[in-house]
Amino acid sequence: MTELLIHNMAPMMFGALVVFLLIGYPVAFALAANGIFFGLIGIQLGLLEPSLFQALPQRIWGVMSNDTLLAVPFFTFMGLILERSGMAEDLLDTIGQLFGPLRGGLALAVIFVGALLAATTGVVAASVISMGLISLPIMLRYGYDRRFASGVIAASGTLAQIIPPSLVLIVMADQLGRSVGDMYQGAFIPGLTLAGLYAVFAVGVALFKPSWAPALPADARTLKEPDGSGGTPSLVVLVIVATTASIAFAKYYYAPDAPTDVVLVVSTSVGVGVAFTASVINHFAKLALLSRLAVRVTFVLIPPLALIFLVLGTIFLGVATPTEGGAMGATGALAMALARRRLSIRLLKQAMDATAKLTAFVVFILIGARVFSLTFYGVDGHIWVEGLLTNLPGGQLGFLIVTNILIFVLAFFLDFFELAFIVIPLLGPVAEKLGIDLIWFGVLLGVNMQTSFMHPPFGFALFYLRSVAPGRDYLDKLTGKLTPRVTTGQIYWGAVPFVVIQVLMVALIIVFPNLVTGGLAKKQAIDTNNIRIEVPAEELEPAGEPGRRGADQPGTEQQNSEQEEAAKALERAMRGDAKPALDRKK
Amino acid sequence: MQSLLGISRLIDALNERVGRLIYWLILAAVLVSAGNALVRYSLNTSSNAWLEIQWYLFSAVFLFGAGYTLLHNQHVRIDIISGRMSKRSQTWIEILGTVFFLLPMAIAILWLSWPVFLDAYRLNEVSTNAGGLIVWPARLMVPAGFLLLVLQGFSELIKRIAFLRGLIPDPSEKHEGPSIEEELAAELRRQRGEPA
Repeated sequence: MTELLIHNMAPMMFGALVVFLLIGYPVAFALAANGIFFGLIGIQLGLLEPSLFQALPQRIWGVMSNDTLLAVPFFTFMGLILERSGMAEDLLDTIGQLFGPLRGGLALAVIFVGALLAATTGVVAASVISMGLISLPIMLRYGYDRRFASGVIAASGTLAQIIPPSLVLIVMADQLGRSVGDMYQGAFIPGLTLAGLYAVFAVGVALFKPSWAPALPADARTLKEPDGSGGTPSLVVLVIVATTASIAFAKYYYAPDAPTDVVLVVSTSVGVGVAFTASVINHFAKLALLSRLAVRVTFVLIPPLALIFLVLGTIFLGVATPTEGGAMGATGALAMALARRRLSIRLLKQAMDATAKLTAFVVFILIGARVFSLTFYGVDGHIWVEGLLTNLPGGQLGFLIVTNILIFVLAFFLDFFELAFIVIPLLGPVAEKLGIDLIWFGVLLGVNMQTSFMHPPFGFALFYLRSVAPGRDYLDKLTGKLTPRVTTGQIYWGAVPFVVIQVLMVALIIVFPNLVTGGLAKKQAIDTNNIRIEVPAEELEPAGEPGRRGADQPGTEQQNSEQEEAAKALERAMRGDAKPALDRKK
Repeated sequence: MQSLLGISRLIDALNERVGRLIYWLILAAVLVSAGNALVRYSLNTSSNAWLEIQWYLFSAVFLFGAGYTLLHNQHVRIDIISGRMSKRSQTWIEILGTVFFLLPMAIAILWLSWPVFLDAYRLNEVSTNAGGLIVWPARLMVPAGFLLLVLQGFSELIKRIAFLRGLIPDPSEKHEGPSIEEELAAELRRQRGEPA
């Protein structure tokens, strides 16, 4: 009996974990309790050292001093402030008016704005709510297919989770032990490609099912010239000038082998700067060369692009760490909300409150996962998982297919924080052993996890869309027509084609790994992630570089208590704890 | 039971106070971190103390915020099964979960982390980064934060038992006020001149 127990500790522990989680008590505590419970059994059976739990404080210390995770509250806070700054509304209004007169134009506007918001920081809930309240009524008014309209809104909102800077990628980088900057660079092109695929789908609908995505009548546009014309030609000219400027800049300023994302971000900024300067000159010199539409489009694009430059630009250029990029973005969002008189003490408090709660629950899931893994790795759980996953038929490809199906299915029940902290640490080491690039792997799973926002019936994006989509038949304010409600079934069915596109994207990344690694291969990212002035060797972190300590650091050694030493030694001994992510990171 | 409920109210008030205090640290951390980047870039210097303050603040937020988050029932859970159960069954899950999951793990960590703080305090441990901060305040945050969490666990336990005895209304249904998403939706509706 005991023998059986000893040999099957890992699978039993894992099975118990599933049960513990399904009970419905907060995940963080269930995870930790599972670790402690089985740790005690393991100690009883002589499988684990009695001093096992002495390592716990050190594990928590590792979570505390983790600079990467600090980016989570920063980006969350930035998103919460930004969603109330009015930026999204302006963008949706203006871009909607711009593209509206085209067939499928409103859908394209939603995708474009979704991608743009996603690149500033992106909170799925906020994007979906804004679009659901601003774009959806217009789409319904002019006869868009309800399923298509709600699907495109929910999907565009979830772009926030894959286009950097996204929380998923931060957590993924942390758990896989890679730098967030690399992860961002890797995800940049796939994220944009995914948005592009949505756009292709929208264009396809406009071409083959014109009745699903009709063009808006000309009088739906309120931004007009005094003489009643639309003012599009002048915008086209401005776009051509700006685009030429950015392409010329990219050509002459950068060497041909410069990384794509840096070139893209900086040259876009240059192009927008040109357009902005032209608009400002036009305005003050009263030249009347540019139409109101052209000026308006330029002005609404400035704030998001400025923020993107402030955050992604500084990260990609190596000026700021991703954490600091988040802080700068949050400061920028605060400044913008203040400038637009949208920032009140109440809003500030609310944003800080929501951020603090999110931070606490996210970090506590991680703490729970660390307690769990202490025991799980102690009973060789990682070897068990590795055995399961490396013996799959088909080697690398087999592993990738199985893990992706696994994540896809789990995403129906778990949200991405749970997936990232519980499942990813188990998969990462196996992937590495199979020779899979972990940045690529992380981006792949990130795209896959997006589906967790779109799965009926628990997908968050669908949930938020449901909360703002008309639940009752209503009289349209403008036309006075009775408009039927959007049913939940329509929202669910609308999500299906976009989930299929997301799965297609996963397949594309597997078939064309260059989508991710292309931007990375050109240069080794300046890893500012680890900035810290190092005079003596790092010692704050546990288990950093075992063996080196003491020898060159006699002075600091004495400051450490014996107990802590024991804990560290234990952690070192358990370096099977093949999860380098937290402890090894500086 | 009434006196226990009194204690529970006291704990709730404490964690509420703590929560409302520590969320300002988010703003502080944002400003410190942005400042660090700007200073490093413009003046080309940087200070380890200021880099460490960032994560001291971060740690304070999640450690001291854990009890507050529990009070507001914001720790995520997987409720696909429990969501379909009756109120009573859900309350039993809360009670058993608190007794067998939350309290053992929180008390264990509280117990284990206290001596680590004591050592840091006695030895006046200083961060090994040049010009770094003293370590014991951060070490103290761990047991302090988990103490708040344990207290909140007891408070939740008292409230659930009181609910089962019919002494108080369901504590998990307390009014939280509009969520930040609801406020956003309300504001957008207001701007569009629609009824909220």
